[in-house]
Amino acid sequence: MHIPDGILPATVCVAGYATSGAATWYSLRKINQKENPREGIPKASLLTAAFFVASWIHIPIPPTSVHLVLNGLLGVVLGYYAFPAILIGLFFQAVMFQHGGLTTLGVNATIIGVPALLAHYIFRLRSLVGNDSRVATGVFGFLAGASGLGLAALAAMILLITTVPVVVDVEAERASIYALALAHVPLMILEGIFTALVVLFLQRVRPALLEA
Amino acid sequence: MTGEVKRSGSTPSGNPALTVSHLSFSYPDRREVLQDVSLEVRSGERVGLIGPNGAGKTTLFLLTCGVLKSDGGDIVLFGQLMKHGDFRPEIGMVFQNPDDQLFSPSVWDDVAFGPQNLGLSEEEVVSRVEESLSITGVLDLASRPPHHLSGGEKRMASIAGVLAMRPRLVIYDEPSASLDMRSRRRLIRFLQSSPEAILVASHDLELILEVCDRVVLMDEGRIITNGDPSRVMGDVKLMEIHGLEKPHSLVPHAESHHRR
Amino acid sequence: MRLDVDEYAHLDSPLHSWEPRCKLVSLFILAFALSFVQDLRLLPAMLGVAFVVYVASGLPFSFLTTRLRYPGLFLLVPAVLLPFVSGSTVLLSIGPLALRQEGCLAALLIVTRFVSILTITLVLFGSAPFLTTIKAMLALGLPPILADMTLLAYRYIFQIGGDLERMETAMGLRGFRARRPNAHTLGVLASLSGSLLVRSYEQSERVYNAMALRGYGRSQRSFGGAHKVRSRDAIMSAGFLLVAAGFVGAEIFLRGTGG
Repeated sequence: MHIPDGILPATVCVAGYATSGAATWYSLRKINQKENPREGIPKASLLTAAFFVASWIHIPIPPTSVHLVLNGLLGVVLGYYAFPAILIGLFFQAVMFQHGGLTTLGVNATIIGVPALLAHYIFRLRSLVGNDSRVATGVFGFLAGASGLGLAALAAMILLITTVPVVVDVEAERASIYALALAHVPLMILEGIFTALVVLFLQRVRPALLEA
Repeated sequence: MTGEVKRSGSTPSGNPALTVSHLSFSYPDRREVLQDVSLEVRSGERVGLIGPNGAGKTTLFLLTCGVLKSDGGDIVLFGQLMKHGDFRPEIGMVFQNPDDQLFSPSVWDDVAFGPQNLGLSEEEVVSRVEESLSITGVLDLASRPPHHLSGGEKRMASIAGVLAMRPRLVIYDEPSASLDMRSRRRLIRFLQSSPEAILVASHDLELILEVCDRVVLMDEGRIITNGDPSRVMGDVKLMEIHGLEKPHSLVPHAESHHRR
Repeated sequence: MRLDVDEYAHLDSPLHSWEPRCKLVSLFILAFALSFVQDLRLLPAMLGVAFVVYVASGLPFSFLTTRLRYPGLFLLVPAVLLPFVSGSTVLLSIGPLALRQEGCLAALLIVTRFVSILTITLVLFGSAPFLTTIKAMLALGLPPILADMTLLAYRYIFQIGGDLERMETAMGLRGFRARRPNAHTLGVLASLSGSLLVRSYEQSERVYNAMALRGYGRSQRSFGGAHKVRSRDAIMSAGFLLVAAGFVGAEIFLRGTGG
């Protein structure tokens, strides 16, 4: 999901900045419509930093380990602040660790950030069952986490495949696309489970965090 | 740190800086945190606030600064009523944890924050920042990020940020917590030479003895007593009832080895 | 993880002393111009320009090579795959695998773009303290909410990162080993993440109080990112923009002539 510099053509990169700009503008507008927009800024900023740090936590998948993206969780907790938070987080990742790219910042933010906003809406559906229900919280937390990653991975894949030069064997291409998609399913499930666990923790310890 | 610029110190004058009358407050999920609290700090006076954890000291401070809204009672600051949400730069508060207060990426930026919000010109901001950094002895740390500072340096930097607003009353919430001996001594000397009125909450009773003209004892949201530091803190029974201990330097010694 | 991309910001070079906003705009535009290139004939020029800029910055080569390693891993997949799956002109057959010309060239393009763009961006962020570059960005007109969020997040990343380290150490000392993604391990790691979030949330309330007490929101703050632009800065910018325009122009021209 963090696409490095150089792979995508410039037109796509510029389009990415345009979509990010639009999504940021939309988010900021929603934020400014709140009663006291400034009050949410320290909260969103420190949580941005916390998410940035939390993504360093290694989840062991023998023989290696993975870092989770946690964009679904971010959407659940931050609501409209999620998009600026992801934009800023990706910027820091690109500059500090060269994870992702700077020309591709717009593209990456769109791919990861828009699903985060959708994950927020998915989690809000929890109220249909009842916000206090632990089962509902767990299930919708899972859905938010899994869809956050799933949509981001899907978007990244579509983007990469459509910008890669003509592949000779269409059958092989189709097969590898399916293989790639399949490979992401376990990751989606992992993100979903982890998100559910964190959301349940928050519900127990500080439910205010889930009321974005 | 470089040495601080020495300041003049002060003598308490008659005018009240802060008058809290019959203040009460409770958080939504807890019963009364503060009950009928009244206290007064005069201009230039140094008042200590002691009491066990949970006595309500920090809550009281947040109320006097206008951050929290009281359930009853009045707060009058320099002759004007303080209402919830008022911005009154005459009062400043040094938080218990400097990391909560040093929120800018560099010390300079942090100290400049207050003056900039006051709408001062750039030259004035620079002059105030330099003045505050000199007073607190952290001028040479100006370009450092807060996470590169030691505990003592953070403490003085956070004080600089508050002083840059030129408050007339400064509240200190546990200022010597986690400081090493040298930094603590520096802080004590600094507080002793403060011209502003100060209200210091601290578990460091020796600091209170060295710095304050008067001490207020608080427990379970109430003011228990108020008076001369040696007298109040020398009352063993009183101190123990309220979860405190008589400071060592007030314990009679066979061989006197203290200055007092 | 090394966080200090600006460890060599203290050096002295024309890039180091370039006014931050001019540098930011010029190098960013150049990076985009490089990403516009598709014609293989421009590849040597791309590498050449990147090389010259890097040498001029005085940054050590070790800095570049270390920083290229991690993102280079991501490039490995397309770089290795493309020569075998993309294109129809077979150069070499190794058993069932066929090395294809179009694929090789596509891989070459991607890798070259990657290396040259990253070199430029490393010079951009490596030749000044990170905070200086951030402030230049803010001075160029970022919305205040984004500006505040960027500065605050940057400030607290280090503290929260330290908190994470301490919490992980404490867990390790009590015998926790993250070996398998079983329910217990995931539960512990989820609690760890949750704790980070809760602590940050609670701290943010105190930080907001501290900010409000010092007048947060009462006036528009400048972030001090605006330095004086000397003629030397403007000339350098003009030079870089010309080079960027050169790449774009050459690319369009070569595409037009059916290169």
